[in-house]
Amino acid sequence: MGKVQCSKKFPWGDFGLFCKLGNFSVYVGMMTVQTLNQRLIELRDVKKIYSTAAGDFVALKGVNLQISAGEFLGVVGKSGAGKSTLLNMITGVDRLTRGEVIVNNGEAVSIHDMAEDEISGWRGRNLGVIFQSFQLLPMLTLVENITLSMDLCGNFSPRRSRQRALELLRLVEIEEHADKLPALISGGQQQRVAIARALANDPPILVADEPTGSLDSVTADHIFELFQRLVMEQGKTIVMVTHDQSLATRFSRTLSIIDGEVGEFPSQTDAKSEDEAVAPPKWRFPWRRWK
Amino acid sequence: MKPRWRKIFHDLIDNKARTLLVVFSIAVGVFSIGVIAGSYQYISNDMSASYAMNRPANVELRTINFDDSVLSSIRNRRNVADAEARRVFNMRVRTPGSDRWTTLDMVAFESFEDNSINLLAPVAGKAIPAKREVLLEKSALRDLVVDVGGSLEFELPDGSTKIMPVVGFVQDTAAGAGDFLASPSGYITLDTLPYLAQPKLYNRMFVTVAGDGDDPSYIREVGAAVKDSMEKSDVIVLRSRIAETHRHPLADIVNAVLGILLALGILIVFLSSSLISNTLSALLNQHLRHIGVIKLIGGQRRQVFLMYFALIMAFGVLALLIAVPFGGIGAYQLSLFIADKLDFTLLGYRLLPLPFFIQIAVGLLVPLVSGLAPVVAGSRVTVLRALSGDIADDGKPASRADGKRLSWFDWIQVKATRVLAVRGLHVPRPFVISLRNTFRRKSRLALTLFTLTMGGAIFIAVFNVRVTLHDYIGRIENYFRADVTLDFDQAYRIQEIERVLKKVDGVTQVEGWQFMGGELMDTNGNVVENIALLAPPSNSELVQPILVDGRWLRSDDVRKMTVSEGLRKSFPGLRAGDFVNMRVNGRDEIWQIVGIFKFVDQEGMIGYAPFEYVSKINRQANRAFSYRIVTERHDRPYQDAKAEELDKYMRDRGFKVRIAQAGSASLDTAVESLDILVTFLLIMAILTAIVGAMGLTGTMGMNVLERTREIGITRAIGADDSAVMRTVIAEGVVIGLISFGLAVILSIPFTYLLSMIVSVAIFQTPISVVFTYLGYAIWLALVLTLSTVASIVPARNAARMTIREVLAYE
Amino acid sequence: MSPRRKSRAVSAQHAMTSAEAMIDMHGVVKRFKNVAGEFTVLKDINLTIKRGEFVSIVGKSGSGKSTLLNMITGIDHPTEGKVVIDGADIYTGVTESQRSKWRGRNLGIVFQFFQLLPMLTLLENAMLPMDYADVYGFDERPARAMEMLELVGLEEFANKLPLLVSTGQQQLAAIARALACDPPLLVADEPTGNLDTKSASTIIDLFEELARRGKTVVMVTHDPALASRATRNIIIADGELINETIAKSLPWLRHRHMMEFTKLAETRIYPPKATIISREDPIENFFMIQKGEVEVVLYDRKKDETVISRLQPGEFFGEMELLRGGKALANVRAGAGEAVETLTIKREDFKRVMDISPITADAVGKIVQQRLEARRAIDSRTGGFLARLRKKRNV
Repeated sequence: MGKVQCSKKFPWGDFGLFCKLGNFSVYVGMMTVQTLNQRLIELRDVKKIYSTAAGDFVALKGVNLQISAGEFLGVVGKSGAGKSTLLNMITGVDRLTRGEVIVNNGEAVSIHDMAEDEISGWRGRNLGVIFQSFQLLPMLTLVENITLSMDLCGNFSPRRSRQRALELLRLVEIEEHADKLPALISGGQQQRVAIARALANDPPILVADEPTGSLDSVTADHIFELFQRLVMEQGKTIVMVTHDQSLATRFSRTLSIIDGEVGEFPSQTDAKSEDEAVAPPKWRFPWRRWK
Repeated sequence: MKPRWRKIFHDLIDNKARTLLVVFSIAVGVFSIGVIAGSYQYISNDMSASYAMNRPANVELRTINFDDSVLSSIRNRRNVADAEARRVFNMRVRTPGSDRWTTLDMVAFESFEDNSINLLAPVAGKAIPAKREVLLEKSALRDLVVDVGGSLEFELPDGSTKIMPVVGFVQDTAAGAGDFLASPSGYITLDTLPYLAQPKLYNRMFVTVAGDGDDPSYIREVGAAVKDSMEKSDVIVLRSRIAETHRHPLADIVNAVLGILLALGILIVFLSSSLISNTLSALLNQHLRHIGVIKLIGGQRRQVFLMYFALIMAFGVLALLIAVPFGGIGAYQLSLFIADKLDFTLLGYRLLPLPFFIQIAVGLLVPLVSGLAPVVAGSRVTVLRALSGDIADDGKPASRADGKRLSWFDWIQVKATRVLAVRGLHVPRPFVISLRNTFRRKSRLALTLFTLTMGGAIFIAVFNVRVTLHDYIGRIENYFRADVTLDFDQAYRIQEIERVLKKVDGVTQVEGWQFMGGELMDTNGNVVENIALLAPPSNSELVQPILVDGRWLRSDDVRKMTVSEGLRKSFPGLRAGDFVNMRVNGRDEIWQIVGIFKFVDQEGMIGYAPFEYVSKINRQANRAFSYRIVTERHDRPYQDAKAEELDKYMRDRGFKVRIAQAGSASLDTAVESLDILVTFLLIMAILTAIVGAMGLTGTMGMNVLERTREIGITRAIGADDSAVMRTVIAEGVVIGLISFGLAVILSIPFTYLLSMIVSVAIFQTPISVVFTYLGYAIWLALVLTLSTVASIVPARNAARMTIREVLAYE
Repeated sequence: MSPRRKSRAVSAQHAMTSAEAMIDMHGVVKRFKNVAGEFTVLKDINLTIKRGEFVSIVGKSGSGKSTLLNMITGIDHPTEGKVVIDGADIYTGVTESQRSKWRGRNLGIVFQFFQLLPMLTLLENAMLPMDYADVYGFDERPARAMEMLELVGLEEFANKLPLLVSTGQQQLAAIARALACDPPLLVADEPTGNLDTKSASTIIDLFEELARRGKTVVMVTHDPALASRATRNIIIADGELINETIAKSLPWLRHRHMMEFTKLAETRIYPPKATIISREDPIENFFMIQKGEVEVVLYDRKKDETVISRLQPGEFFGEMELLRGGKALANVRAGAGEAVETLTIKREDFKRVMDISPITADAVGKIVQQRLEARRAIDSRTGGFLARLRKKRNV
């Protein structure tokens, strides 16, 4: 899998350097070639069909996809293309109609063979999820939002978890607001907290659903850079879906999703403009933002 | 605090309005339970306790005169705990200068200091009168206008008068007990007797038994022994009466009240649990997204369950903190009200353990039980559903939502509108929205309707029961059809009285009645019941009894009588044609009961026997003590005026008038306690109506909260404030009207049930039920008002929201 | 000859008389306040939309386009400034409730998520606005609503609940609802955002037809293909409108950079026939035509002039020289017809932006190529210009 990544160019230098060395050397960071090649999640012929009163709707048409350790996978597609459905399959949030999602829960298991609570547990240990609309609990301070995650999984003692939460907030550069409520900080800052929360239990994988969708371009850039840093410095694996084609070149691997089918990226018709070609995210209006 | 508990803590304190709504809906239930359980406890406990504290006599004997030696011999008897003797006689009395004479039962105490039976409770002024001073029982104030320190004019048998000061008011819980026609009492010392031309001798014996004072047969045994002993001392016992120590004379009425309390208590538990479960499931719906986030970041079902379990417990505890104290106060106030009406005193405000624990159980268990389903559902909800925002089943257009089908109910609604439209009947669309909104949350609607319908049905039923009782009272009037009752101290010839009275303007008919007392005995010869036999002429039209069995009097009846149904309490299964042992004027006789009629038997039994026979055994043929007079007009003021006029008229002519009063005056005392019941029922009805209205307000609030997006849409397409409010209010009113329809239906069995509880407690058999439009009309007006008011607050909130806020709500 | 200069390019756009204006926004500012501070979402917006125009508004999320739309629909209210719709100032002395009433009669709104009321059938949904606005007689309303449903081709679904029809049909029904009260103005917020391509196209066809019938249609969209079918394109970025000339001339630019240009651009006005660039002059600016026609002229040795191209508003010139450096390759002058208004960007700004926007640089490069080829064709006829150019190079 490493090969695939290296065939892509990397706009950010450091990681590019790493990748050139990738197949035969060891990066200065914590990652080894071996972990890079390790398959974390595999989708085998995943189909999802929704039946509605107006008829059946095929959201995913037999998707095959492998997610390997250490990659920054981008899935680009218009709204309605099945991006969120794909993510729901990966996170085990939704049931698939056919196919298998294999995850590593001690051993390789099909995620939908697990009970809901088992999935929760696996998700808590292995996945950090980031949403377009942040989904912070409004009644808890930033640091509490992060410690809640640790509290529920029980991996850290209460004292240790606060300390860790502060470290994470420092990592996402928002430590000074630690004891504020989410409503008091900007959207970009909330997304940073959401990322810190996703990191709380130190999961190897982060899954992000349009994480920059409700942010202005400058803030979105910062968030994206943060993701890049997480891949490089923390060795995280990130799967991100987005509508923003301009980001396509910045992932370590980019796939496109069109009408429920996943394929290689440059498949979109020529863009008229970097901005305009972009389909809006499903929940784009600020007035739809969930509090 | 762990973060998860901090979340719950903030859930509790951040959205205060919502927390208040939930806490309040629990508190209403707990409060009602507290009031009901508390009053139950207060009344059932304090009534008998306070009655027993006054040491009611177990045996009361009316005798000819006797002195201290007889008294002390009785006191020394085995099985007699205590004995007290008094002299009781009646006098006419008035406030000086007034024309209105009232009859008082004057009671002379052997010693006020040593009073140990039928204790007097001081109310105002002195508790012990000196010589030539008088204490008044507080019920005397109904007829006499006098203050402590004021004076009363007493009329002696020879026509002269004496004036004595009133030095205090007392309450005598035993006064009047067992005597339906008893007069209010005045209390004096023995030393005062000569002043009133009375001998210093006793004619009443009061005895408390040593041993079980609540065992009627034992008391009867002791009573018989005391009586024998007195008669051996040549003291003839005219009448005897026994009573249990802890049994208040009005216990039957109170039992009816308590029965209703119990039924309502159970009902309110149901009502408040439906209210609570409504509120909690709405709350959890709002929390679904949080649950989704929690699960997504690794929360397990058990953790989610525990968090919300704790939240519900916290609501319960908060509700208890509010409801328990208020419930206690409410219970005490309600009991106080009833105690005052029924003439007993409470032992004081205190924490009652049983209601306290019931309240805690209800406050914690009911939310738990009713919240369990939503909490379990919430903890089970999949992350996807929780996050998708597709929470309300009426939410979004089903673009991707899982298999939505049209329910048959929706289909019918659409079809119905269409059928109307085809006929050219178009319903305005804003109203169509209200109508269809009404049925969108069907389980919520069902719970709301349940609460509101119950409240309404009870409310309507209470009015029906009230009218039923009043109707019954009206029929009791048939026993008191005379306009004026005139009693004399001695028997006069009927023709003479008739001749004199007929000269008075407005008098159309005069009837002479006699009386006799009897003691009914069981097969062992023990006196079971005293009965007052009224003896009207057998063809009298002034008594029109409600017969439940047998026939009315005949002129040739010998040792035959009709008795009130209440006698079945002492003689279960009594039927017309049965024979009973009765002691009359000291002789044991066998009488046949030829008819049984309905009456209010709360103050002693009555029966009727024909004048023809009674005058014979009283050896007063063609004479009578008591006269019933019919006048031209039958309204109460006229009757009162006529009674006063006749009193003076006869007195002026040298007749010894004992009392003259309007014929229906005795009815007033007879039915007074029924009014207490009705008032009490009304309080209960209002309580249930409030719970129902609370439920409706909560429902409308939740509905509006869930439909903010749609309200935003209507605003976006041109609905102004009043249109938005109309839509919401119309929905509330539709719910109100549906509940009214259901309540109308449900009120019928409720009316039967309630009047059954009441009538069986007071009378022995159910009374015939009467319906009134009044309850329906008032409830209709009330439910319309309530549903409008209940929707106004949510509607105003809905109208106030700007569209941006509304659309941002998602 | 020196052109009159205006300080800011944007202000030139706002010169419409109000009689023909459907929407007239003047100095509209919107600030949101929360505990964290104040955010300015709209910064001094001036915008006029004429009757019968079909306008698309484009912008990234967070750019303020929804807020802008909310200002037009009266759903939100501006912090400062004035909005006049169809001659009515909708904010001064008007309560929210009155605005709702006004909106019902004068405005049709179409939402991204259709927002049909789920408990009403399509027909009832279409009748609802008439009930609220109290227009048309009560008995006329069903017929009128049916007419609207026929217009969008939904007559056979009239008595279905929204739940039972496809999303495209729901959106059509929403449009029928928006048209129910026959409002002069239709505002659509991402009307195709949740639809497949075919349904989206149907909707835009419908909008075009409505605009032809004299309705003013304002549509927020993200789809360039659909946006291009509007008669006018407005781009909003970070709460400000991008100059429409810039957007038209350099559509490949990122909005951020368009914004930069909007701020940097100077307006110059040249009378007819005035020379804008003389050949061999050093060129310091990039020109975009806002109004009027511009002629690119070459003179041969005999001083005969050849008009090698006529540039229209929305086209640019001066790029070749800026990218390649050096002096003007041809004369550029205002057309004979009317005065020419241009927007000019300074050389260094233009180059800086081109450096960071490879797509634009690419596209501009392509145009340069085309123009060079066109010129070569002319040159081959006139023989002068390119030969000398080559000679120069070789030196």
